[in-house]
Amino acid sequence: MSTPLQPFPAAPRLFRAEHVVMAAATLALIVLVLLPLAFLVAGSVTADEGLTLTHFRDALSSRLYVQALRNSLILGAATAVLSVAVGLPLAWAVSRTNVPAKRFIHLTAIVSYLTPPFLTAIAFVNLFSPRAGLVNGFVRDVLGMPALTFDVFSMAGLILVTVPHTFPFVYLLAASALESVDASMEESAQILGAGRWRTALAVTGPLVAPAVLSGALVAFVNAIALFGSQAIVGLPGRVFTLPTRIYALFDYPPQYGLASALSLIFVALTVAALYLQRRYLARRSYVTLGGKGSRPQLVDLGGARWGVLGFCAVVFVVAVAAPYLTLLAVSVSRSWGLHFWENLTLQHYRFVLLEYDVTRRAIANSLILASATATLAVLIGSFVGWLDLRTALRGRKLLDYASLVPLGLPGIVVAVALIQFWLRVPLPIYGTLLIILLAYTGRFIPLGVRSANAAFRQIDPTLEETARVTGAGWLRTFRSVTLPLARPGLFAGWLLVFVPALQELSASVLLFSSGSITLAVAVYNLYETGALGPVAALAIVTMLIITAAIALATRLGRGAAAARAERAGVAQ
Amino acid sequence: MASIGIERVTKRFGGVTAVRDLSLEIADREFVTLLGPSGCGKTTLLRLIAGFMAPDEGVIRVGSAALSTPTGIVPPERRGMGMMFQNYAVWPHKTVYQNVAFGLEVRKVGRAETRARVARVLELVNLAGLERRYPSQLSGGQQQRVALARSLVVEPGILLLDEPLSNLDAKLRERMRWELKELQRRTGITFVYVTHDQSEAMALSDRIAVMHEGAIMQVGAPRAVYARPVNKVVADFMGLVNLISARVVRTGDEDGLVAIGGEHRVSAAVPPGAIAGEMVQLAIRPENLRLVPTASGDGSGSVPGEVAEVTFLGNLIDCHVTLGDGTRVRVQLDPGQTPEVGQRVAIRFDGRQSSVFS
Repeated sequence: MSTPLQPFPAAPRLFRAEHVVMAAATLALIVLVLLPLAFLVAGSVTADEGLTLTHFRDALSSRLYVQALRNSLILGAATAVLSVAVGLPLAWAVSRTNVPAKRFIHLTAIVSYLTPPFLTAIAFVNLFSPRAGLVNGFVRDVLGMPALTFDVFSMAGLILVTVPHTFPFVYLLAASALESVDASMEESAQILGAGRWRTALAVTGPLVAPAVLSGALVAFVNAIALFGSQAIVGLPGRVFTLPTRIYALFDYPPQYGLASALSLIFVALTVAALYLQRRYLARRSYVTLGGKGSRPQLVDLGGARWGVLGFCAVVFVVAVAAPYLTLLAVSVSRSWGLHFWENLTLQHYRFVLLEYDVTRRAIANSLILASATATLAVLIGSFVGWLDLRTALRGRKLLDYASLVPLGLPGIVVAVALIQFWLRVPLPIYGTLLIILLAYTGRFIPLGVRSANAAFRQIDPTLEETARVTGAGWLRTFRSVTLPLARPGLFAGWLLVFVPALQELSASVLLFSSGSITLAVAVYNLYETGALGPVAALAIVTMLIITAAIALATRLGRGAAAARAERAGVAQ
Repeated sequence: MASIGIERVTKRFGGVTAVRDLSLEIADREFVTLLGPSGCGKTTLLRLIAGFMAPDEGVIRVGSAALSTPTGIVPPERRGMGMMFQNYAVWPHKTVYQNVAFGLEVRKVGRAETRARVARVLELVNLAGLERRYPSQLSGGQQQRVALARSLVVEPGILLLDEPLSNLDAKLRERMRWELKELQRRTGITFVYVTHDQSEAMALSDRIAVMHEGAIMQVGAPRAVYARPVNKVVADFMGLVNLISARVVRTGDEDGLVAIGGEHRVSAAVPPGAIAGEMVQLAIRPENLRLVPTASGDGSGSVPGEVAEVTFLGNLIDCHVTLGDGTRVRVQLDPGQTPEVGQRVAIRFDGRQSSVFS
């Protein structure tokens, strides 16, 4: 005799898991993003005597700040245009032509994107500073043509050191758009009598324009937010920008109100650019209809392909070879100059790794901060993504939007907002690692949310439902089905946060104390003292840590790609 | 003259030969279908005709002009052909009007005439009134008509169609099929049509070229190819067919005999090359077989067996019969007949409707 299976006893439910997750995610976003932002706004319109618009009036009338705003706009616009000028030809060459060494071109873009912008700036200072720059010295003293020297401490110099970091945005977006245009779109124009140029102008161009414009706007937003290069190259040349002006307002006596107002103007600029990007993308993004989806035939460039490759080589030299070789050379030279190789040494490495406790502490701090930030951002991202995709809770979309808010906040603004908030709360976290952790986590939440969302989206909900039907509770299902399946995607997201967190400067530079100093701040401070050798050595160490992280990421990524290919093979 | 001459064309991709020493003549105003499974080289052949790629060997002529040779090709934009793609390739950033007018703009046709011709062709494909819509606001069938109108408006001598109906649902597909045929008759354009759907090929074409592994197996009118396939591949691809093991008894076109299902002799056109006693395959379509009572088994064309399975399909009855030696034969009957599973029956083979392949 078999007894009929009893249904599982219904446990009395005081609360449901999804509500707990919702509460946690909401709380995290409120503390990390919304409250600091609210205090920033409040700080910008209050003074000792109450509500006021003085700060905004100061910000918008003083020549000091209008000039900074103008410079930021010039920098952003010029960088965006140049990013298209560099990124689009490279994207076209790689995705549409038979140019040789495509992998090399692609890697050039990736490496320049990953190089911390302040390192590029420091390297170019070593090459092009008016007096001690190696290239300038060569041109002046060896060639005897002082007219041809280039002063890096200028707007032109600032643009030069910024573009290597921003053109990859255009490159990556344009390349993927060019690759996704179905060949038949262009072939239809061809068979109707349109030649190559006509086809490019009438069909290909309009189809990839949204991606290119989008890349240009992202380049703009990123360019104006880079505190490091603007401080290193801009300040000595008296080219002031919004981030450097905001930074200067924290010199004693700090002017929090004005800094907040300036920050909000900065945010408005960023948000306007991002809004344009979204709107344009939404209105004009074309999903190509299914079907065979054939790849376009590659354009045979003939002899011109060596010219195209030459262009790519120039980009490689400027964006990758010159910065790295310079930093490497400086890091092993006793004295920097035209004859630097006559006096090689490892003392700078010994100094930053073994002798100078500040840099040792900075390395440890940054590793801790980057790991913790990546973990937190992915965890919160998982919460938000899971709520969005797997529940019908009210307000989950709002949460999703709220998690994207930091995209509009430049790093230095996050720092200003956190200072405004935590100075008014009776918790003594200012000057600790914790406040930097909060700043980083707030900044990088969007990356965590996106990665988690992508990871969960790939899991068919029926897999989880099957577990539930079999009798597994929510937590059990999450632990033994959802999490293992999402792990590769979540890990990729972790690294996506880890790498920029390790080199974060814009927010850290306002929040650090001697105990909580980070890698990038240590590099910046060393640079300010003029210790070029140790700066270069520390820069190389930073890059080695990042390279190790990337290598790990690619290996794991390749594993995930192989698994995907295997699944696709089974499905066919 | 929009006739097409394909002479001994070969096209290789790396180590794979997509089109192998292929020749085909297509007459002006003809509707020819390239039929075959995916990977048979039919799309490659179409793209060779369009000029998107050069042949490795052979020549493609239109009229008397050699457009494609291994040493050089006239580019697609100077061939004056039209082409429709499987995914329609309607430009998403242009309105219906702009899509259709593009070919005329390229040809520098005046504004007024462009407007008139676009209006006329949109009328023709039943899209009048939708000029200002964007493709994303159209149904699949409408997008397909836009693509059709776009190719027709320039009045090409030749229209190349790459599975243009495969993304449509069954009902729409049938209607568009009929409309395409009608259109071809009215315009007199030479159609080269690629499909893997044999019923589509039969419904549309003047001639069908059945392709397999880069070569043409058979070219002919739909009826001829259906009724008289030259080999097993063609027989199998052109609809349902029984392939039954048989032993040659006597060769001969008129009075040939083979033995199947044991020692039952049925008449068949046995090719003269075959030798008595040799094992061959008898190909016959299910609808060409008839069930007769066992009693009438007179040794001249009926084979006894037992009904194994009966499926009612509405317009016909699908019936599987097991012969004495275990061979299963599929027979399609009109729905008036009611065979029952287990019933002893005999199948009548008509020698005029079967083919013998070695």
